Amino acid sequence: MTIGWINTILEMQAEEDTLENVEYETELEIKNTEGLHMRPAMQFVDIANRFDSEINVSNGETNVDGKSIMNISMLAATCGTKLKIRAKGPDAQEAINALRELVEEKHFDEPTPKR
Amino acid sequence: MRFRDFVCFDATITELQASDREGSIVELVSSLDKAGKLGNGKCVEITRQVIKREKEASTGLGKGVAVPHVKHKAVKDVVAAIGLSSTGIDFLALDKQPVYSVILLISPADDPDKHLQAMESIFKHLQQDRFRKFLRQCRTPKQLEELLIEADEDPSL
Amino acid sequence: MEIKKGIAVSPGISIARSLIIDSEDYRIPRRPIKPSQRITEIQRARNAFKDAIAELTRLESAQDQAKAGKIKDIFAVHLRFLHDRSLRKKVTDLIHSDLVTAEYAVSTILREIASHFTKVKDAYISERAADIYDIERRLLRQLLGKKHENIDHLTEEVVVVARELSPTRTAGFDRKYVKGIASDAGGRTSHAAIVARSLGIPAVVALEDLTEYISVGDTVIVDGNRGIVIVNPDQQTIRQYEEYSKEFTELEQKLDAIRQKPAVTRDGIEITLLGNIEFPNEAEVVLEKGGAGIGLYRTEFLYLNTESEPTEQDHYEAYARTVRVFADKPVVIRTLDLGADKYTQSKRFAPEPNPFLGLRSIRFCLQNLTMFKKQLRAILRVSVLGQVKIMFPLITNRQELMQAKMILRDVMEDLDDESIPYNRDIPVGIMVETPSAALTAHSLATDVDFFSIGTNDLTQYTLAVDRGNELVSMLYSTVDPAVLRLIRNVIQDAHKAQVDLSVCGEMASEPEYIMLLMGMGVRTISIASPMIPEIKQIIRSVTMEYCNNVARKVLGMDSERQISAYLRNAARKILPEAF
Repeated sequence: MTIGWINTILEMQAEEDTLENVEYETELEIKNTEGLHMRPAMQFVDIANRFDSEINVSNGETNVDGKSIMNISMLAATCGTKLKIRAKGPDAQEAINALRELVEEKHFDEPTPKR
Repeated sequence: MRFRDFVCFDATITELQASDREGSIVELVSSLDKAGKLGNGKCVEITRQVIKREKEASTGLGKGVAVPHVKHKAVKDVVAAIGLSSTGIDFLALDKQPVYSVILLISPADDPDKHLQAMESIFKHLQQDRFRKFLRQCRTPKQLEELLIEADEDPSL
Repeated sequence: MEIKKGIAVSPGISIARSLIIDSEDYRIPRRPIKPSQRITEIQRARNAFKDAIAELTRLESAQDQAKAGKIKDIFAVHLRFLHDRSLRKKVTDLIHSDLVTAEYAVSTILREIASHFTKVKDAYISERAADIYDIERRLLRQLLGKKHENIDHLTEEVVVVARELSPTRTAGFDRKYVKGIASDAGGRTSHAAIVARSLGIPAVVALEDLTEYISVGDTVIVDGNRGIVIVNPDQQTIRQYEEYSKEFTELEQKLDAIRQKPAVTRDGIEITLLGNIEFPNEAEVVLEKGGAGIGLYRTEFLYLNTESEPTEQDHYEAYARTVRVFADKPVVIRTLDLGADKYTQSKRFAPEPNPFLGLRSIRFCLQNLTMFKKQLRAILRVSVLGQVKIMFPLITNRQELMQAKMILRDVMEDLDDESIPYNRDIPVGIMVETPSAALTAHSLATDVDFFSIGTNDLTQYTLAVDRGNELVSMLYSTVDPAVLRLIRNVIQDAHKAQVDLSVCGEMASEPEYIMLLMGMGVRTISIASPMIPEIKQIIRSVTMEYCNNVARKVLGMDSERQISAYLRNAARKILPEAF
């Protein structure tokens, strides 16, 4: 690699950084009765993996990678748990919206507790 | 295969007139024919074949149910008709008990697996005491249809 | 030198170097690896993930959405796990940092995750631990499956030592090199024990913690007569055993000499002595030992070996091979008895909580008619090659029997339509192995051509004991008065209805029990081939009068212990050398 080539890469990265430094955050409540068990965890992870942004999920105690099914299912979030979702990247906003739709509006297409 | 996939509810006979097994078979086959499930003019032939087969070996499974069946070219898909008799029919079942529920099954000649899948369903539900009891209690075709649809969803029935 | 006591399940003595094999289901011992092996182990782990993913993808796409949506879902979740990069990283990191094998890393990491789940109070979430264990098993199968090669490429005689052995594994042992078997788990009539006996390999099971006392390369003596295993024996002990072994071989040879002689009592009553087999290559052994046919051909092996369902032709070829060996002698083929065996359970996606009482055997077949039909067709086609009979297992009521016979008839009609020849009058019988069948034998007798009493399962169900569970296997006894009563009932009902009767459980191969059975009216028995000479010897040494007396005495006793002791004494009088 020539010096010139390296410089170009560094410039591109610097440019990307400014574009990529978009961060969105939201809080979502688990609404379905059975909580974040295997199937919903799978749906969550599938949606998260559609986006380029980094996605972090925190339940107040631990912070995990939202794209890993192992990590998400270990959160063992039950009905009523509030999760903080942080997305960082060019499509961060779309990611957050998609996840909110899945968790709070569709509640993973599962039943919610009857009042 | 679910009941609703092969049982012709329109052909249900909630009170069979016949008191003998040949008679009940004649009733059920012609009921299917009236519902348009058999090919043209095959009614008599099919009836004859079912009766012949039944005479060779009784399809009385015991506990009041019988499953006469035959394979025939006239049907393209598996089809069944259910007939109930409150007085009981002598199917020469080996437990010597009368039959109160008859499930007539006609299967296509060239698709033995479809026949097996229908038999699997029939066996599975006929094993359950509850199902047999409820079957006997049906008074209208609609009740029978509802029972079978419920059984499709509920494996414990 | 360490002396361990277990249960003797296959007679004989062997002295050889030990070969330890890992089993699928238990804790993988921590064996350290050298730093230079790191890369290989990490690659093994990666390959295991890749192969498990391929296997699961195949299984998932084979599921019919309509029938098994939930199962497809479960597979989908498992696949996500296997694809999860952070999981893989945890495993490879552990291999790297702690210098452990791939199996150990996989097992440790996954169990850690599983225990994390079980701690959560929510039932839905804590039950997911079962999924994690399933994923662990799938990965371990990939890793350990490759290790089968170790045992397939033996060059010297060994004694195989394991925590537990599957019948499939055991059946694959090369008799030339595998001279003995010792396992921590198992019971007297576990499947693997039965296979060891048929192959004539001395075996001792239920040693509990043998694997913890043995290291690679230790010399081991397996005493399959007394149920003892000796680790690193001293010279004196070795010499003693070599002597003992010679004596035992001489006795075996003496017994083999009577193979041509008929199985007739001293007062002229003939007993039909048949063999139980599982694999086609055992058929010749039955003939060698003097068996007059096959009384029980277990057909499950076709399913335990492969991942995909055997075809009708696979069935046909296996059966044809056996029937041809016997030509004009009877061969009773038992239809699939699958389900409760843990080896089929581990292949299930949603293991049943109580497999012994679950969808197994004939029930499983009646709910899987396309599969059942393949076997029935093969059996019918083979029926033209010899004297074939068909037997249905685990029949509990008449309805099941009628359903099975109905399907058999349907299959016969199909063969008629295809102009394929078969024996229209093929005898149809059932295994009487449940209390309900035993108690209603008189009614079942009208619809069958023969009964065969399966004393193993009959005893298990009657006494509510799992024969494979070493914690309770001592409660299992086929001469418990309750079991004897049922057996007697069946014999009497069969006699009244003039239906052929045989006993095919392990009870018939116990020298101590054979006289009792004969005295109770049994005239046909089917046993594992190695025992045929010895049992024949006993038959030839007694009179039926003596047997009738024995039976009369025993049936008047009400304690299993009393019965056992009495029978042991009675047998010792007839065949002192064997005791």
